Amino acid sequence: MDEKKAVHSGTAVSSTAVPVHTDTTAKWFLLSAVVYFFIVGIVAIILAAKFIWPEMLGTVATLTYGRLRPLHVNGMLFGWLLAADMGLVYYLVPRLCGVKLWSEKLGVATAILWNFIILSAVVVLLGGWNQGLEYAELPLWLDVLVVVAWIMFGWNIFATVAKRKYVQMYVSVWYIMGTILWTAFVYLVGNFAVLFATGVNQANLNWMYVHNAVGLIFTPVGLALAYYFIPKSGNIPLYSHKLSMIGFWSLAFIYVWTGAHHMLHGPISQWLQTIAIFFSVMLLVPVWTVVYNFFATMKGQWELLQTRVELKFLMSGVVFYLLTCFQGPMHSLRSVNALVSKTDWIPGHAHMAVLGAFSFFAIAGTLYTVPRIFKTRLHSASMANWSFWFMMIGGLGFFVTLWLGGLWQGWQWNNPAIPFIDTVVALGPVWTVRFFSGVLIFLGIVLFLYDIVATAIGASGSEPIEDAA
Amino acid sequence: MQDYTYPSIFLAYLLFAVFAGGALYFLIRSIKDGYWGKDSEEVKYRMLADEENKYGE
Amino acid sequence: MLGNAEKNAILFVIAAVLLFLTGGLLTTLVPPLIDTSWGRPFENDDPAKGPTGKLRPYTEQELAGREIYNREGCWYCHTQQTRTLLADTKRSGWRGVDSPISTPDEFVYDAPHMFGTKRTGPDLSRVGGKYDSQWHLTHFRNPRDLVPGSIMPPFPWIADNPEEFEALVAYLQTLGRAKDWRPDQDYED
Ligand code: HEC
Ligand code: HEM
Repeated sequence: MDEKKAVHSGTAVSSTAVPVHTDTTAKWFLLSAVVYFFIVGIVAIILAAKFIWPEMLGTVATLTYGRLRPLHVNGMLFGWLLAADMGLVYYLVPRLCGVKLWSEKLGVATAILWNFIILSAVVVLLGGWNQGLEYAELPLWLDVLVVVAWIMFGWNIFATVAKRKYVQMYVSVWYIMGTILWTAFVYLVGNFAVLFATGVNQANLNWMYVHNAVGLIFTPVGLALAYYFIPKSGNIPLYSHKLSMIGFWSLAFIYVWTGAHHMLHGPISQWLQTIAIFFSVMLLVPVWTVVYNFFATMKGQWELLQTRVELKFLMSGVVFYLLTCFQGPMHSLRSVNALVSKTDWIPGHAHMAVLGAFSFFAIAGTLYTVPRIFKTRLHSASMANWSFWFMMIGGLGFFVTLWLGGLWQGWQWNNPAIPFIDTVVALGPVWTVRFFSGVLIFLGIVLFLYDIVATAIGASGSEPIEDAA
Repeated sequence: MQDYTYPSIFLAYLLFAVFAGGALYFLIRSIKDGYWGKDSEEVKYRMLADEENKYGE
Repeated sequence: MLGNAEKNAILFVIAAVLLFLTGGLLTTLVPPLIDTSWGRPFENDDPAKGPTGKLRPYTEQELAGREIYNREGCWYCHTQQTRTLLADTKRSGWRGVDSPISTPDEFVYDAPHMFGTKRTGPDLSRVGGKYDSQWHLTHFRNPRDLVPGSIMPPFPWIADNPEEFEALVAYLQTLGRAKDWRPDQDYED
């Protein structure tokens, strides 16, 4: 309870005391992100269903597969994942710096702008107003707004870091600053520079962006969360800060080279493919240093997983991260790529990264953070636990069947005697399992949404833990 | 279209050598500068000390 | 200087940006300078390597068709690249003739590019001339009428709109035409 005193005296007494965080921005971002997670989850289910019943909603132009898919991808990546990541960044940077956020007003304005962008994106994508480039589907005027929002976000975070009280920066702060800087470049290349190129040249820029959207946006910010929430929710110090630096700098250098591995065997220069392969394999360095650090942190403390549901999400996220980033270098090799590229293996791989690893980190962060910013306790830990198991089982069903299906598909394609349609029909059972796994994941999302919203609403109700803040 | 496959493999090896050299250089330099000292790990303990651990339990 | 490396945010920013830009610039700006075939068509008599003067800019109608292809997200299910794999050249082939692989110069008029990453449906890089308009009309109305077991969505709003339908088919018929490897109107054979 002495901490409580610190909170009370924070503003009044001295500048070295703990600041009082209002966290309005984090609340906005996190709550809207969780709601998009749910809504876009419905879209995901419809999408998966269309693989089994292709005529479902088939005569409605706005709900055709080719329009729902970009809505699903953009909605999940930018409406849920990135928004949740940003909300958590607004939470943890002030704490790691020991000062208040530079401006809550600017933060709230950013959140409003972000929501406007996402809602516009829904309309634009369903209307078929698609720029035709993966992950860069949104039209130019929305791209400009995204850049504005990103500058507002970056400004707020860098200004907070600039006035920090704790001089030595924790690794999460490094990753967050890296994310902000790299995203700026990657996003500009992927959404503006591409418009001036055609053909292979454009594809090269497009895939540089697509790959780095995952590698230099979602990876570093996701790792920033893991580096913060794993020690925090277990209350155990990180194994080694120095080791985390090696992971950081190697990521900064290596990731950006790998874009061309999306066009292996394709009509892009062979030598560029070779470079992309080389660096894809090098990526094992940042991944393994990071993962070793997390495992070493947990060493001897694994029983904490039984009681802390955040840690369950976090550590299974780490395992999925390790697996994804083992798959990645492997299917960059020409021989493996010839088998799995363009098959259902790829969505299996992609979902393990964005759902299994990075969404799990963001979910853990949200479960940890929301009770704290609303100054209450989590509505129900057992509900969070159920949500974990739904997502875990659904996720495994999703990933594993798609890998097997993808291998099978690739093997069939490599035998030109098999007519293409037979390879489509053969995948039917795989897509059925994917659909039901998707339903399980969706149930997990519903429980998660309910838990978070109930926590937030309960907070403004009767029994706050600390009444004065 | 020219075939740059072999030059690119050489380039890849060359780059690898450059990184290895760079990494070694920075390692030696940072040891000299005292980067690997004990207090540099302080930050990971400080981040655990926090005002808000009572919430959310 | 390195002893305090973790305390200096400005040093950090410079280093992070420089490291990133090394690869960033070398993989985006430099390749098109080295491989000029990315940027402009060139003359070549070997059909396996480049167009034989058959590549031309899209017409107005074909561009409109491309716009529809883009709008309906056909490119999420169909790739447009015959890769350097034997199976690809066979699958893109035509009546026993293996298709030539796709080369960068075929695509210089493509913006947005339509290479794609996922083959839920077959590759379309050589589909031009494979089917006539009647086939496409039936196929867009309901793919399962022609290919039982297909999971391609129906596109009745395209089939019922002659202008859109003709534009889309005009575009589809251009695919794979930059290379001289089979007759022009071959679906009429
Ligand atoms: C859900 C994924 C999906 C979408 C979206 C889709 N297709 Fe298909 N397409 C398929 C499948 C599967 C086949 C193979 C079975 C068949 O022929 O119907 C196919 C076959 C085709 C074929 C015949 C190819 C051949 O070589 O036999 C053409 C042409 C085609 N699609 C054009 C289009 C166009 C144009 C669009 C957009 C308006 C489109 N497709 C959208 C899945 C899709
Ligand atoms: C409810 C669970 C989910 C289901 C049922 C689902 C379903 C799907 C389907 C059917 C596709 C299209 C695959 C294809 O074209 O073959 C897809 C693509 C994609 N989804 Fe999901 N999804 C789910 C959750 C998520 C989440 C949580 C995220 C991100 C946070 C996500 C991100 C993506 C991305 C990035 C792609 C594009 C993959 C690629 O480029 O190949 N999905 N999803």
